[in-house]
Amino acid sequence: MAVEQPVKHKGDSKILKSLQRNWQLYIFLLPAVVYFFIFHYIPMYGIQIAFKDYFANLGMFGSPWVGFEHFERFFESYYFWRLLKNTIILNAYNLLLFPLPIIFALSLNELRNGAFKKWSQTLTYAPHFISVVVVVGMLVAFLDPNTGLVNHVVRLFGMEPIPFLTSPEWFRHIFVWSGQWQSLGWGTIIYLAALAGVNPELHEAAKVDGATRFQRIIHINIPTILPTIIILFILNIGNFMQIGFEKVLLMQNNLNSETSDIIQTFVYETGLLEGQYSFAAAIGLFESLINIVLLITVNQIARKVSNNSLW
Amino acid sequence: MKSKRFWPMLLLIAAVVLTMSACQSDNAGSDSGKDDPQASDVNKTGMPIVEESLDLEFFANKPAQNEDNDWNDILVWNHYRDMTNVNVNWDLISPDALDEKRNLALGGGELPDAFFLSSLPNTDLLRYGQQDIFLPLNDLIDEYAPNLSKLMEEDPSIKKAITFPDGNIYSMPSLIEKDFLSLRLSARPWVNEDWLNELGMDIPETTGEFYEYLKAVKELDPIGDGKTIPYGGTQIQELIQWLAGSFGVMNRGPSNTGNIDVDPNDESKVRFYATTDEYRAMLEYIHKLYDEKLIDQSIFSIEWGQFLANASNNLYGSMIFYDPIELFGEDIGGQYNSVAALEGPDGHQSYNKISSPIWDTANLVITNENPNPAATVRWMDHFYSDEGAKLYYMGVEGETFEEVDGEIQYMDHIVNPEGDMTFEQALAKQLTWLGSINGIIKADYFQGGESAPQSMAAAEKIEPMAADEIWPRFTFTEEENKVLQAAGQDIAKYTEEMRDKFITGDEDLSDWDQYVETIEGMNFEEVVKVYQQAYDRYRGE
Repeated sequence: MAVEQPVKHKGDSKILKSLQRNWQLYIFLLPAVVYFFIFHYIPMYGIQIAFKDYFANLGMFGSPWVGFEHFERFFESYYFWRLLKNTIILNAYNLLLFPLPIIFALSLNELRNGAFKKWSQTLTYAPHFISVVVVVGMLVAFLDPNTGLVNHVVRLFGMEPIPFLTSPEWFRHIFVWSGQWQSLGWGTIIYLAALAGVNPELHEAAKVDGATRFQRIIHINIPTILPTIIILFILNIGNFMQIGFEKVLLMQNNLNSETSDIIQTFVYETGLLEGQYSFAAAIGLFESLINIVLLITVNQIARKVSNNSLW
Repeated sequence: MKSKRFWPMLLLIAAVVLTMSACQSDNAGSDSGKDDPQASDVNKTGMPIVEESLDLEFFANKPAQNEDNDWNDILVWNHYRDMTNVNVNWDLISPDALDEKRNLALGGGELPDAFFLSSLPNTDLLRYGQQDIFLPLNDLIDEYAPNLSKLMEEDPSIKKAITFPDGNIYSMPSLIEKDFLSLRLSARPWVNEDWLNELGMDIPETTGEFYEYLKAVKELDPIGDGKTIPYGGTQIQELIQWLAGSFGVMNRGPSNTGNIDVDPNDESKVRFYATTDEYRAMLEYIHKLYDEKLIDQSIFSIEWGQFLANASNNLYGSMIFYDPIELFGEDIGGQYNSVAALEGPDGHQSYNKISSPIWDTANLVITNENPNPAATVRWMDHFYSDEGAKLYYMGVEGETFEEVDGEIQYMDHIVNPEGDMTFEQALAKQLTWLGSINGIIKADYFQGGESAPQSMAAAEKIEPMAADEIWPRFTFTEEENKVLQAAGQDIAKYTEEMRDKFITGDEDLSDWDQYVETIEGMNFEEVVKVYQQAYDRYRGE
């Protein structure tokens, strides 16, 4: 740290001194703190409507308390188990593919041909910039049973066209894999950066000892990026249950709702479309609770097992 | 140690000050305009409605056909503003975002002075009415709405449909003249008569004949390459609603969601028809059509544009849609002829897919922000008169319509527009009625697809088979709404999903008993009881 002018004050605590010395750094921190405070802490008072019957004219504070009525209604709802099951399976499926970008980053890292490497990187992360609506539009166009490209190919092989978008058994695959197609390249960026930090001397030493490429990946590259992997995994768990619901909503119809109906689309339908704010808030809160529990559990496990954790 | 708290405290104070100032400016915004001293003035009769110009903010749905026009500067509204001295500032919302935006405005956002054609469901009218956000209009209508009052006297069902169990009226309705059947039919069934002739068949009159026709079209394949689609539509629901009359369900029309109609054995009881044998027979029939690929296989995911494209390529052997000639031109549209109600296997033959003359309960809803509710009611009431209907649907004489031999008709620049503009596009430059019903629609003052010759002929054919009585949307109490929003919604969602699955065959009809059992396990009796109570009130008991 470049110390400009050591300011002398008598009797000040250590903390104030460090504040004064590094005040530029704290200024940098300030916007983030203010942002989180205003947009993530203050609005938390809204949680109370989950336990109230919200009336717009009475406001958040004036509306009458109803206790756990909305939660009970949700748990007793016919669709509760289906919603929970679909939400968990869809998210777990998505999480299962967590290693894909790691594998992809490791392979890219082994490429020696610079031009080819750049090309494949650009190609794989280009889809990241396509908006969800357009992606779903592409899915509808490609997978249409009458006019879709994919079903033309299916027909070429003499098979019956498959109604991809209206069958519950296809929904999860289409959702998750089209998501992977979109995010794979983008997901590799952090891993590639971490891989750049691998000490080349380790590789040289391993080569001298006669280690194969594969052995070097397993014993040098992966251990080096392991902390990054664990942190990203925990962060991913933090987003568990919050899969891109816009895309689910756009892909949903009566015929595939068996698997595509998830908690978030349900919250959107009841909260925003039907204006049952308190009920929707209760469901949202329930979802957040599951999230927190998962996050803490995974963090604890990670800390015990590998000494890497968020806190 | 004192200084340790200094920085966090400063942050806290800064944040609090920031948010408070944000809140304050909000309040200042919504309070202004409320205390206008001139505002309570209103002329009880004649025009203008107010002496001094009155500004009102209206939240309104803007149907897709009006995409390119601006209601803040368009002939019909400019003319009405000059007439009334009421200047409406339109906050126009596209239909996709309507529910969301409306609920956000109601849930604590900025309230407009009135909601205009915003598809407010009855549940919301009552909820926000009881929260004093919507004004009760009973007295205002008595005093300032002579035209609507007259219509309500002539047809008491109008008043029943807009009065809530608490005795209040929170909205002014959209109406269709009762005898204007063609409009109440919306999309109606058509078959391709050229193909019928080629096949040597007559226009189908029974469900059996309809099936034979579709099958024959599939075999004939007039388009070639297997591309011909025997039946197609924009959504499966239309086919279901049409066939409902052939199987004896939905006998009081489609206005009430919830699969409720009247018990054929007892006029005083409602019946949940989605578990009846008749309904099952209908699903079996539709499943047979779907299974044999007589129904467009993409009907569950098809988009409006794709349907139009297919129809313009002459792919459909039959369809349920609006006037074919108006939409697809004489060459293709001219091949179609209308079908009435089909006679079902048990002899049912009634046409039930007819909307109630009370098209929408909530044409105009006035909020507590409104500076001059009386003037707003008068503003709306004009559209229930002949003059108002003429203004809204025909426009201004010499600008959009003219009288020829005692009959009014659109002027040439609308009927035969320049360049490649369509009739609707030319119309939307001066008028805004496309895609909405405001006030009352009367056959005498309406010239759209529904009054085109082909559509009128269809309505004539259907008329003798029209259902005896069509219910408007029922109104419910707050308590009843709670039941409908919980169990009622689960049941509605389940029946709709299962309906589609039974049709596609994803769910086998042999599992019918289990389907019925599931519904009966969903607090079903409570829901039916709610509908029964609403029906009792409607019957005036």
